[in-house]
Amino acid sequence: MLSRVAERLYWMSRYLERTEDTARIVSAYNHLIMDLPKGAEPGWDIMVQILDADPYFHQRFRSVNEQNVLKVLVADGSASCSIPYSIEAARENVRTTRDVLPEETWELVNELALFVREVAPNSVGRRNRHAFLAEVVSRCQTINGLMATTLPRDHAHSFIKVGRLLECADMATRMVDVGAGDILDRDGSTSAFDPLLWGAMLQALSAASAYRRQIGPLVDRDAVVDFVFLDTAFPRSVKFCLQGIGEELGRLSNHEEPLRVLGRVWRRLNRLTKEDMTQAELHGFIDDFQLQLHQLHTAIEETWFRIANS
Amino acid sequence: MEKSWRTYKSDGFFDELITAKGNPRAAASQAIKFLKSLSPEELASRRVAAELAIKEMGISFTVYTEGGNIDRAWPFDFIPRVITGREWAQLSRGLLQRMRALNCFINDIYNEQKILADGIVPADIVLESNNYLEPCAGVTPAFGVWAHICGSDIVRDHSGQFFVLEDNLRVPSGVSYMIENREITKRVLPELFENYSILPLDDYPIKLYQTLAALSPRTRRRPNIVVLTPGIYNSAYFEHAYLAHGLGAELVEGADLFVAEDNCVYMRTVDGPTRVDVIYRRINEDFMDPEAFREDSVVGVPGLIRSWKAGRVAIANAPGAGVADDKVIYAFVPDMIEYYLNEKPIVKNVPTYLCMREKDRDYVLGNLDKLVVKPANESGGYGIMVGPHSTKETHKKFARLIEKNPRNYIAQPTLALSTAPTYVDGAIQPRHLDLRPFILQSKDSWVTPGGLTRVALQKGSLVVNSSQGGGSKDTWIVEGES
Repeated sequence: MLSRVAERLYWMSRYLERTEDTARIVSAYNHLIMDLPKGAEPGWDIMVQILDADPYFHQRFRSVNEQNVLKVLVADGSASCSIPYSIEAARENVRTTRDVLPEETWELVNELALFVREVAPNSVGRRNRHAFLAEVVSRCQTINGLMATTLPRDHAHSFIKVGRLLECADMATRMVDVGAGDILDRDGSTSAFDPLLWGAMLQALSAASAYRRQIGPLVDRDAVVDFVFLDTAFPRSVKFCLQGIGEELGRLSNHEEPLRVLGRVWRRLNRLTKEDMTQAELHGFIDDFQLQLHQLHTAIEETWFRIANS
Repeated sequence: MEKSWRTYKSDGFFDELITAKGNPRAAASQAIKFLKSLSPEELASRRVAAELAIKEMGISFTVYTEGGNIDRAWPFDFIPRVITGREWAQLSRGLLQRMRALNCFINDIYNEQKILADGIVPADIVLESNNYLEPCAGVTPAFGVWAHICGSDIVRDHSGQFFVLEDNLRVPSGVSYMIENREITKRVLPELFENYSILPLDDYPIKLYQTLAALSPRTRRRPNIVVLTPGIYNSAYFEHAYLAHGLGAELVEGADLFVAEDNCVYMRTVDGPTRVDVIYRRINEDFMDPEAFREDSVVGVPGLIRSWKAGRVAIANAPGAGVADDKVIYAFVPDMIEYYLNEKPIVKNVPTYLCMREKDRDYVLGNLDKLVVKPANESGGYGIMVGPHSTKETHKKFARLIEKNPRNYIAQPTLALSTAPTYVDGAIQPRHLDLRPFILQSKDSWVTPGGLTRVALQKGSLVVNSSQGGGSKDTWIVEGES
């Protein structure tokens, strides 16, 4: 497989995952807001933080409110954290790699991008928001399902899988980080509504029912952190993602350096002891961990996407 | 829609589906019977369905001049054009004959130049042409074939006779749209297929693969074939990707390839450098190799021509093949057929005046209002003047251009291009069209059953190019008599 194509597939997959995750986060948060009494909401800035949109957002808006945040995340194609931006980026990558993907991939991704272009501007308000987000998530899953069932297990599949898992792991850590940080911000003590917040987070990861079966109905920080980071059976947990990345990298040639970096990430993950961790410690851990995920990305890039003349 | 069909009239032109008396041609009668049975609402909804299918299938082409809107949906008219198998058999024989002669010519020009020595074609117009590439001299590619994929533009005059208007021997495009048009018709008007046996088109990628694979310098079960594209911003990128997919080949850009010290071409892959056997290039020859041609090319591969001349890689169409698709050289194709094959041309050329000949030039300058004037070396319908449809100022402008550079212009009589019923503004109206079949040649040769029919959507217009507002139709070759 061409290095350039591998790189585009990898990014196509990351952007597709990002599209889905953004829709999930917005959707889950939307539900949460309705459950909380007025004044107790953790604030819409939590969304802006999860999605790393601070600078972009504050250039444009003075106040962080529902309308402004949703306008950016749902309908602003020039914001790199938005759903329209992610799906257009995914579309562009499929457009330039459609020759290695199952025939329907392009059609589905193209249709999804057209759908977002058309419907997103009218989906900022509460009335249409839910249906729009649910449709985006479901279409992303259709595309992933198509690839899972029809894409030959070759290089294309490996890079697509690695891209998706890396993005998924990254998103999971972001959500835990900001959730933890936000609670810390509010007078240093936990609030009565925290279980609702952590519950919403599990919702955003489609992890709520898996968590209930595995851990039980009680939701608290340590159990959620443990589940999201370390569960070995749940397909969106950080550990599960890293395991999958390892399997795929092992199939590729010249995998020594990326696997070495992955090993480092893996060891770091296993040193996570969530009990007795202060919020600041948890935040520090996640910061460090995200940096390592980025190093893994760099190692993949250097090894397979940049080939010299010789 | 009975009424729209009843009042349909194509004055003085040969109509592909309707006779001069207003009756459907035999081969088209079943299709027209069905179309007549549809209500105006139903026709309109089929059209919407076609547009939706095109959008969903992502069939697009690119227009440079439109700035922000680079990706435009493919314009398609759902009423198919029907040609009988008998007419087709004759035309396709003619096209194969033509392709054979053209390849003999190119190989002769870059080697012995017998046809020049024998005075059949004037040496200066060949050797001084921009399309004659000196670096290619002395090469004989596999099977002596330079042009492996040719798209010839065919028109019909008022009597229904076929003529070749031009041959595209460098990077002819449109074949993917030909295949997709059939796909759209199947989706939108499935009922039409019930009473017909139509020659299928979808094996084109297989034929193309066989054509290309036969050129491989290494004998391997599956040679490494790549499609070389200038990139996503090229107007035919959709097609490049489409064909790469159909061939199971890598779609590469210049930067994906390099020529190593062993003169072999390699592509950069996730497994490291991998040798390439056959390049189906869809970039213009001047841009292929900055070492050999244009130094400023950023889409080419340095050393590519060196590798090709050393026989380490095959290139289709071979660089230099364009020497035969110059519109001045075109005028000599019938002579080439007689010279190389000792046969009579099966399909005719459109009569052509060469402005470089004094007698022809005088005639052209005196009759600009009746003629179509074309630059010798442009494609896509750019720089063409259709005399009867142009103003006096344009005539004057072209007179100056011709006098300044007579070698660069040819003129042809304005043909009464055939028409076919086309759905425009809610009614069935005659529109002019042409046909581009694709001819393949390497070890074996083959013609697509049908081709891409392009239709001028403006009333009375003769310009069918998609970059200039033309549309297209599905083209059926059906068994039966006309």
